[in-house]
Amino acid sequence: MNQQRRHLLLPVLLSYALIGASRLDVCRSLSSDSGTKAAEQQSAVRFDFHTVRGRESKVTATGIFEGEQHLTLEGSSRVQGMSHYGKQWSGNAHLLWDGVVGDSLETTFRVARGGRYRLLLQLTKAPDYGRFSVTLSGASLHSDVDLYAPRVELAKRLDLGEVMLKTGEQKLVCKLIGANDRARKFRGRGYLLGLDYLKLERLDPEPAAKAAPESKPTAATEFETGTSRIAADFATIQPLLKQHCLECHSGDDAEGDVRFESLTSRQGFLEQIDLSRRALRAITRGEMPPEDATPLAPADRRKLTTFFDSVIDEYLDSAGSVAPVVMRRMNRYEYSNAVRDLLQLKGDVFPLPEKAIRPAADYFDPASGHFPSTVVVGNRTLGKNQVEKHILTGVSPFAIDLQSEHGFNNRGEELSVSPILLESLLRLGQSIVHSPEFDDYCQATPNLFSPSDGTSNDEQTKIARQHLAALLERAFRSPVDGETIDRYVRYLSSRLDAGLSFSDAMKTTVAALLASPRFLYIAEQGQEEESDSDREAKSLTAWELASRLSFFLWSSIPDAELLDAARSGELLKPTVLEQQVRRMLEDRRSQALAENFARQWLRLDQLITAVPDFDRFPAYYSRIGCEQWKFGLQTMLEPILLFESVMVEDRSIMLLVDSNYSFRSDELQSWYSADSPFKGKDNRNRFNTFQQAFHRRHLKSRREGGVITTSAVLTMTSSPLRTSPITRGAWVAGVIFNQPPPPPPDVVPEIEADDKAIEEKGLTLRQRLEQHRVNQACASCHSKIDSLGFALENFDAVGRWRDAYRSGLPIDASGTLFGESQFDDVIGLKDALLDHPEWFMRAFSEHLLAYALGRELTLTDRPHVDQILNRVVADHGQFSTVVTQIVLSKPFRHKVDRIEDSQP
Amino acid sequence: MTRKPLSRRTFLRGCGATLALPLLDIMQKSGRGAEQAAAPVRAAFFYIPNGVVQSAWNPTETGVGFKLSPTLEPLAPVREKIALFSNLDRVKVAGTDGHAQASTCWLSSAAPDELSPAGYPLKKTIDQIIASETGRHTPFRSLELSCNPYEDNKESVYFDNISWYGHGHVARSLRDPQAVFNRLFGIQEQKVFGSVLDLVLEDAKSLNRKLGRGDREKLGEYIESVRTVEQQIERVTSRQAEIDRLKLAPPTKPWQAMARDEFIQVMGDLMIIALRTDMTRVATLMTAPERWSSPLTVHGLFDKPIGHHSMTHRQGDDNVREELERLDRFHVEQFTALVQKMEAIPEGEGTLLDNMLFTLGSGLSSGALHIYTNLPNVIAGKGGGQLATNRHLKSPEGTPVANLWLALVRAMGVEASRLGDSTAVLPLA
Repeated sequence: MNQQRRHLLLPVLLSYALIGASRLDVCRSLSSDSGTKAAEQQSAVRFDFHTVRGRESKVTATGIFEGEQHLTLEGSSRVQGMSHYGKQWSGNAHLLWDGVVGDSLETTFRVARGGRYRLLLQLTKAPDYGRFSVTLSGASLHSDVDLYAPRVELAKRLDLGEVMLKTGEQKLVCKLIGANDRARKFRGRGYLLGLDYLKLERLDPEPAAKAAPESKPTAATEFETGTSRIAADFATIQPLLKQHCLECHSGDDAEGDVRFESLTSRQGFLEQIDLSRRALRAITRGEMPPEDATPLAPADRRKLTTFFDSVIDEYLDSAGSVAPVVMRRMNRYEYSNAVRDLLQLKGDVFPLPEKAIRPAADYFDPASGHFPSTVVVGNRTLGKNQVEKHILTGVSPFAIDLQSEHGFNNRGEELSVSPILLESLLRLGQSIVHSPEFDDYCQATPNLFSPSDGTSNDEQTKIARQHLAALLERAFRSPVDGETIDRYVRYLSSRLDAGLSFSDAMKTTVAALLASPRFLYIAEQGQEEESDSDREAKSLTAWELASRLSFFLWSSIPDAELLDAARSGELLKPTVLEQQVRRMLEDRRSQALAENFARQWLRLDQLITAVPDFDRFPAYYSRIGCEQWKFGLQTMLEPILLFESVMVEDRSIMLLVDSNYSFRSDELQSWYSADSPFKGKDNRNRFNTFQQAFHRRHLKSRREGGVITTSAVLTMTSSPLRTSPITRGAWVAGVIFNQPPPPPPDVVPEIEADDKAIEEKGLTLRQRLEQHRVNQACASCHSKIDSLGFALENFDAVGRWRDAYRSGLPIDASGTLFGESQFDDVIGLKDALLDHPEWFMRAFSEHLLAYALGRELTLTDRPHVDQILNRVVADHGQFSTVVTQIVLSKPFRHKVDRIEDSQP
Repeated sequence: MTRKPLSRRTFLRGCGATLALPLLDIMQKSGRGAEQAAAPVRAAFFYIPNGVVQSAWNPTETGVGFKLSPTLEPLAPVREKIALFSNLDRVKVAGTDGHAQASTCWLSSAAPDELSPAGYPLKKTIDQIIASETGRHTPFRSLELSCNPYEDNKESVYFDNISWYGHGHVARSLRDPQAVFNRLFGIQEQKVFGSVLDLVLEDAKSLNRKLGRGDREKLGEYIESVRTVEQQIERVTSRQAEIDRLKLAPPTKPWQAMARDEFIQVMGDLMIIALRTDMTRVATLMTAPERWSSPLTVHGLFDKPIGHHSMTHRQGDDNVREELERLDRFHVEQFTALVQKMEAIPEGEGTLLDNMLFTLGSGLSSGALHIYTNLPNVIAGKGGGQLATNRHLKSPEGTPVANLWLALVRAMGVEASRLGDSTAVLPLA
């Protein structure tokens, strides 16, 4: 098998388990330095993920460094918007510099991997621009570039030829050496320079997989290098199995029903792939051998993990397939969007709590590439039993589908249609079209519901048939045969015969199609692939791909343009597919990714029922009228707005871990920063629950920023009278690392519900929890989960910073991440995440892929996640790269029907 | 703390004042009751989540006239009509959450090695097995109700349901009493669906031809539902005149505004009406979902919202255990109140209760340890004379609860000799 993929596999494997000793070994083997020293050096070159901004430049992935965002601004350098000169400037802006003859523009940029590159420079010409020499890190590249032109225009791209670059920072110097005779001086003394972008094209072939790392492994290179493969023969591990495993794992009373004695060959382990996977996980996690048994020597441990790794690789190579996707029914969020788009309604058909943000005006406009610095929004009410007002009279949503335990509410196997639901759907369709507001609300096809004037009945039916044919194609997202159209036309006629007006008959017909399985289910059959040796996976048809795409990005049906691309088959071309993804991400409907994906990914629903103790945390409550409201109302919006800004500006997903900005109302800001929030107001009208202006705020402390340290997350993972480090740790493990802890064991320690009771004993919560970690079986998991939670101990149960516990006891927020990265506090935790950006990038990509597919990821997805991750890492986590790579991946473009027992 | 058992007034308040009396009167004459034939036996299940405090639940005495344990004390007024079963176990299958498996597989007919794709020993639950038989006679094959009070979506579908048509096909419960009412008695609404069903069924058939095997199974759920609704409409329509005469009024208060006991009683009322009017002969009622660690307000019992789940893990603390026992007793009181309502409804020579098999239980025995051995099981009613009551039957250790389930489905007229890991039919009398 492909060597390079092999190297990518190890980290993946580990991501499906809690990363244990084996990962540590590999990391050490990559670096000649000690782990600590390597970590120090990594932090010295830590990438600033704030520099990633794709929506304006669109091309960072291809080696382009935009003057206005990727190059450092020094001296007189600044950004100038260029859109009023035309659209030819990349990102509609360039870097503008001015100086007098002899001065230099100096700027730096970073190269993730050293080697030979071709350097291209895109400059601007204008009447007051000068002549420059160009040097890069001391080497002269061009002695005289004249940027004079009679009017402002883009220069011909300057090819500076081949350069040899070292990994890391590069310094570009453009020295003003004079000016064209016709050029006029800028402000009477000097000249200008405009740098649109510079582009690096890599000339070296991709490094051979066995090549030793040429420099310190950075985030971007770590995945492309690795240890050489050790021959993994069964003979290498047979004695180890015998010595360490067989005693317990054999015979009738084998521990955990795991038996090794009959497995006497590599083939045997291949056939028992699930057992191999479990064995690998247990060994990597350090769960096996158990604490009371003879420990494994590190070299032996490596032999075992290498063997199981290679067995799984071989399995994946031979399986080469993708996991089955079960045809799924729309959930109600998707239904609402789909009906809105199908009938071109002015808005939603019913109010949904799933739509957490209630904007005062449209603010989400990804095409602008700009997320507003102030957003005026409200929220659905939190914590109050609120029956929401109908949008259309009599139209109520059907029951919400619950989220999967570690996933989303779009998994086919959990979305069934029961008689009750079918009744709801039948009723719902009728109630929408027959609601009194419908005619004004529906801006689609004005002719659809009214008969054409002065024509015969036959003529009317003919026209109605045309309307229905078009509508059915959009509703069913697939070609509709004559027989089906006839059926709907007959239904329409039967309604007319029953005495309904044309309008009512057509409405009833439209309502009927809203209950059709062809509308409600996202069904795929795929088409046979001619050249693929993979028997099971069929590639999706263009129509099916269009549906998958629109339900992924918009939680809705495809629009006309996407259907056109499906009809022509063009969508099957990767370039067209990619172009559609970009277009769809720039459409406002992509807000569904925030409303539907991000809300579920962060499990923000849990905030709704968080009840910090009323007496301990009075500021969390405000009495308005005769009801108590909770402050979670506002805090919930903060992580969602951050997510939306990353989407709209196409920034790095790493900002979700650590951002230097956040969106907060004045009240929310005071929640974080004031000793007494809300200026010490008492319960009555303490805060405003209606609408708030959220401002983009620069954060001064790295304690803040990203989603983990938002009050929303910290509050919902606490219990009423204290923090809950285990809940917080489990949240971080699941959401940030996509390594949800296994179900808790049956013996759960009893910890006081109030930290006051704990502190009265002179103990901190941490000490109390550690006292209880008596059981070794618990300790192995909890040492990992808990330290993620303890890192957040400086935030109290409502997400406010504290330096010490209320009793004065000191807070210990230190810990170790996966036995590898030590940290002292939450900033250290964020540093560790930034130093290993691939951890979060992998987890995020996996979450989003699982969401896109509507199924749980399995072993067979790993190579595909690796491929996605490769590009995501290279693009420093740019949001659109994650989405695009998911869409281009094999699991997204293929379908396998569920076959019993085909998967481990 | 003792609580006054809920009176019949609650029954009236819950469903609207016009409801109860005319109903009882009219049903007496409706001809569906006992005059012509023996009244049918009906089965209902009352689920309490997170197990019970074992020490306060288990009576020390067995046999007839046993002394009620502290938690079971509220059953005293109806003790002549209940039977307690103990030492019944379910085998826990590793790999899934202990709580999710508890609710999802409480009534499962699957043996421990019959795992659904999601990893649970789950296939058709016994209420649905019963419904396949009894549903041949009634407008609705079954009724699934839940008093889940939480407005977040913290847990998955497996924590929130106890009734399944098959392993991936959940019989989702209704948690809005108004919706339950409309479903049962909103005949006018249902009629409109008839012609639509033909249309969408044709769509389903044409789609079905193109699908792979796994997806066909999924679409089968839809097709099955279409047929069920069709039948429902037909049967409800045939009973329209009767239902009209009942002049039923829907409950008006939103469930979100109801106190805990009120919510459970209103749902219970609706269940009883459905059983009494023979709209269905099998129902499940979940008082709350498993785990779901969101705070729970139990009005009149605790000053502040409690965490039922977290309390079960802290029951080593005397105060916490005492509170938990109060909550367990509260659930038993709620059950008792419904039993008393059934007892108050005359049917034939006896009462509705005499024709009931109304089971109280939980999928966990104790929440402290997530264990499935010695599950709590109380059955109220006489099952048309099939159940011997006022007794505590303690089975030999390790008896599968499937033995009891097998006895129940047989008592409900289902021919079966095995069910899951059953080893015998547990004698009900």
